[in-house]
Amino acid sequence: MPELPDPVVYAVPAFILLLIAEMIVSLRRDRSRYEARDTLTSLLLGTGSQVAGAFVGAAVIGMSVWVYQFHLFDIGIEFSRWWWAWILCFFLDDLAYYAFHRSAHRVRWFWASHVIHHSSQHYNLSTALRQTWTGFFSLTFLFRLPLFLIGFPPAMVFFCAGLNLIYQFWIHTEAIKRMPRWFEAVMNTPSHHRVHHGVNPRYLDANYAGVFIIWDKMFGSFVAERDDEPVRYGIVKQLGSFNILWAAVHEWVGIAKDVWAAPWKHKLGYMWREPGWSHDGSRATSAMIRERWAAGRPVEEPAE
Amino acid sequence: MTAVAIQTGASLVAVLLVAWLVRKIGLGADPRIEDATHAIRLAEEAEAGFHGVEVARDRAGFAAIVQNAEGRMMLVRAHGNFFAARPVDASVIGRLDKDFLTLTMPEKTFGAVTLQLGKDAGMWASRMREIVRA
Repeated sequence: MPELPDPVVYAVPAFILLLIAEMIVSLRRDRSRYEARDTLTSLLLGTGSQVAGAFVGAAVIGMSVWVYQFHLFDIGIEFSRWWWAWILCFFLDDLAYYAFHRSAHRVRWFWASHVIHHSSQHYNLSTALRQTWTGFFSLTFLFRLPLFLIGFPPAMVFFCAGLNLIYQFWIHTEAIKRMPRWFEAVMNTPSHHRVHHGVNPRYLDANYAGVFIIWDKMFGSFVAERDDEPVRYGIVKQLGSFNILWAAVHEWVGIAKDVWAAPWKHKLGYMWREPGWSHDGSRATSAMIRERWAAGRPVEEPAE
Repeated sequence: MTAVAIQTGASLVAVLLVAWLVRKIGLGADPRIEDATHAIRLAEEAEAGFHGVEVARDRAGFAAIVQNAEGRMMLVRAHGNFFAARPVDASVIGRLDKDFLTLTMPEKTFGAVTLQLGKDAGMWASRMREIVRA
């Protein structure tokens, strides 16, 4: 496999500088945007994610190369000749990310891994680095395999995935209200992604995009941020703890307890149904929360 | 493996530096539950469909117990710059000590919460006992 550098490694100094810049902006505008223990938790979870990734990286690459041997089309990696393939790869990788991300919010097995990223009640650039430790275990790499089957070389796909990750860093901020209208229409932005991190019933399970917001508009999961309803961040049942290990594994522990206690015919449901699902209806899914909330409200004007 | 160890070590130093900086430059807040209305709003935000009617608010505003018309209770407490809530059910242990009521949640990471409720502490302790009996 041809080797390409990991673009994320080169972006890390920029991440740190932007983080400090955002902290200075918060100092002037709103000091509550940062909290030392929350920032420490987010950044340590990010570091742990890098370590976990280093351990399983070889396995993911090995599987990708194995799948790639069955590819349908021969696509090269040299940019000057295959520039269109690079653009297509970036675009399709973002679509694969959308599919992964939507599943990560709709299937509890995937959510158990992804919930780490949502477990902060803050929304700042340190939240972007709060990443999973258990992505490999939850099989999230499966969503990229079709790209290898098409014929995109694994090195190209991983490079594009790195660029995708870098793009998603800067949208985790409250410092930017809205981007120009044309940009908001096509790209994922701080405003769109704030909605994604929201626990307000109106904002639950929306805006799964990585780079291009068009996927949400195409597949019906787009919700616009409203100026009259500030976003509350986090998860439906807020962690209430800065314990790093608990943040990393709490949903897995929850799944294990539920599967153990459930009647036999419902055990699998606690793994593959949506978060909040219960066989006796004693808990609430996002859809149920939205219904309860909508039932008590008058009809409203749509967002601008 | 050495490269991973060096990278992890460098990351840890940077992480500690940034977290120290957040504290050093004075970022953060001191969240308090201002009054009963605020406590009810926080409980209702924590659980869609919950409508609080009565409130026991800690004197300093660090925590509150909110009860709905059906007798269900919700504990709201400060967490970092924000708040977190949990239902108060039969698995919660309540301990009354004069004006103070301590609620120990079954979820260890959520911890125990002590509310200074003045003369109302006894009344709310009895309400908790009613939940256990029910």
